[in-house]
Amino acid sequence: MSTGLKGYSPFGEIEELGDGLFRLNIGPQHPISGQGRFIVITDGERVFDIEMDIGYSHRGIEKILEYKTFVQGIVPVERMVMLDTSNILMGYVGAIERVLGIEPPPRANYIRTIVMEINRILSHLYALGLLSEAAAWNPAVFLWTTADREPFLDLLEMLTGARWSYSFFVPGGVRADIPNGFIDRLRKTLDWFEKRIEVYEEAWIYNELFRMRTEGMGVVSRQQAIDWGLAGPNLRASGVPYDTRKNEPYAAYGELDFRIVTHNAGDSYARGWARVEEMKVSVDIIRQALDNLPEGPVKTRMPPRPKPGEALFRVETGRGEMNVYIVSDGKDKPYRIKISPASFRNFFTIEMLPKTQEVLLADVPVLIYSFDPWFLDADR
Amino acid sequence: MFNELISFLNENFQTLFIISVFPGLSFVLGFVIFAVWYQRKYLARLMIRMGPVHCGGRLGWLQLIADALKLITKELIFPKAANKFLFVFASIMLPVIPAAMIALIPFAPGLVIYNASGLSLLIFFAISTLFPVIGVIRGWAANNKFTIIGAFRNIYLDIAGEIPVFLSSVGVMVWAGTYDLNEIVLRQQGMWFVIPQFLGFIVFFLGLLAMVEKVPFDIPTAETELIYGPNTEYSGAMFLNMMEADYVNLLAWTLLMITLYFGGYNGPTIFADPVVNGVFWLILKLLVAITIIFTIMISYARLRIDQAVRMGWNYLLPLSILNLLLTLVLKYLLVGGVWG
Repeated sequence: MSTGLKGYSPFGEIEELGDGLFRLNIGPQHPISGQGRFIVITDGERVFDIEMDIGYSHRGIEKILEYKTFVQGIVPVERMVMLDTSNILMGYVGAIERVLGIEPPPRANYIRTIVMEINRILSHLYALGLLSEAAAWNPAVFLWTTADREPFLDLLEMLTGARWSYSFFVPGGVRADIPNGFIDRLRKTLDWFEKRIEVYEEAWIYNELFRMRTEGMGVVSRQQAIDWGLAGPNLRASGVPYDTRKNEPYAAYGELDFRIVTHNAGDSYARGWARVEEMKVSVDIIRQALDNLPEGPVKTRMPPRPKPGEALFRVETGRGEMNVYIVSDGKDKPYRIKISPASFRNFFTIEMLPKTQEVLLADVPVLIYSFDPWFLDADR
Repeated sequence: MFNELISFLNENFQTLFIISVFPGLSFVLGFVIFAVWYQRKYLARLMIRMGPVHCGGRLGWLQLIADALKLITKELIFPKAANKFLFVFASIMLPVIPAAMIALIPFAPGLVIYNASGLSLLIFFAISTLFPVIGVIRGWAANNKFTIIGAFRNIYLDIAGEIPVFLSSVGVMVWAGTYDLNEIVLRQQGMWFVIPQFLGFIVFFLGLLAMVEKVPFDIPTAETELIYGPNTEYSGAMFLNMMEADYVNLLAWTLLMITLYFGGYNGPTIFADPVVNGVFWLILKLLVAITIIFTIMISYARLRIDQAVRMGWNYLLPLSILNLLLTLVLKYLLVGGVWG
């Protein structure tokens, strides 16, 4: 099949590849692409290769952090993923605490856990909305999930004073204690939210057409998931029971009892399903943390300068495990910070899929959003 | 000269009114404005939001008119490598074809734009085959990869949908014993054909969703993959034409479905005038039908093109042939012959 297209590309690329194949630029100006570009080699319906083009939103956050004191660095580091700020910030703050050699008080750890799990719910809700929109749900489910984020955003505003970027965790604890009435309101919201999850399962996860679009599509086997370095719910949907919250506990996760969600299929449906199940686990974790909330201070004194040294901190963000590596030369600013985000690894799995199985052009958006990638996270 | 014109207008007032006001041009354009507004408001309710609220008060009824004025005043942008003649030609022709199909639908006893002497259903299908042709021309003329992919999908989907739709309406033709839409409506006074032709109706309805390119069959214009499919490169007034074509097409096929299966303009007498009564019932059935189609739009995911084509050829086509055979047997047993 020849398309008979005349070559015209603002990027000056060779358009015709022979055998009726051509390059399709999905992005950076496309309804699904976000802040990046997917170069798709296709014959019109079948996809033979996907090439990722990231870096459109690179802000040099790692370099910026070298010119900020430890506390000043909180604000730029949160800008990696605005949906998931407290989980991202936990990685940075945790690494600083290790290099400073301080431990936050237990109450601060529990408050951190509550905030991070609420944030995980917010992040997964948004991911599910985008996945449903990619499978052409007209934006119905996306708007439902967006509306259901509001009660949680209000709660976090009550606790931290901000809806999105809280800057709530500081080295040595959290900025403020829980206000009056917060716990009751949170419990009520959780009861309401459990009913909402049932609605999503009814309308969406068990929907026949949604299953037709996602089941058996974009399969990543257990071994491939390990080899390609997949992270987060995507890894667990391929049947690998790895969760940093369990394997290398931080905050209060070591003292709480929760399960790791795994699914054996490893397809797009399993990845969507895993996120719904993880929201249920998050609700459970928040309930336990509220029940066991210890009394005491929420902040310890932070020494002005660390000793020269280095520290690594792993954190399970909404998109998977993020590693933060800090090298300190004894000044009040880090010598070097290396952040290895989860989205970067998840993105490049998309490149591998057309090489191992048949992918159609209509599958590309579902494929992309089943991995819940975040360009700003990968670009940093 | 002027007096002749006045007398011509006076003598042919009824014909001109039918062509230009109701059920002709003004009604079709009015329906487009209403349907866009209704879709936006209704879907907004299902999505827990407000829909348009800024033009025309809280109900937002002026929104589409404001949008249309904005689009008309915008510059027409032609892609560098486009075939300009076909590009403009397709955008003008596309809304005309479904509008011509509406001319054959009886709106009330004696109220039909073009009385096609007993062949109106066949002529309806004959005109409808032009729609995908123009649909492919628009995609090809823009010379854009997204539009050409959308145009190819358009061909696949129309072939997979149109044949089952035609074969299931052959069932109605056999059952009613006529090709004439008005005659088909008259024979449904006792019982709507949806009851004896239920299997055919299911096939027809699924095929209709494919013909009007609504979810789950909005595959040619799939937003998340192809931006706006074959319409991607259109701007300004030409874009408006494309949007209008979508809704006029929806109107034409929904009216055909009501005429074939839901008794057309038949209904209990509420208004003494049979014309007013017929129009009232037809519009009421139309509203119910588009509400159902819009609800389906929001409740299901989009099929992939291979899944949709497989559904058309593997399930809808055999079912429509089965329906035709059942209709023939049933009619032979009940009436004693398949003719008449």
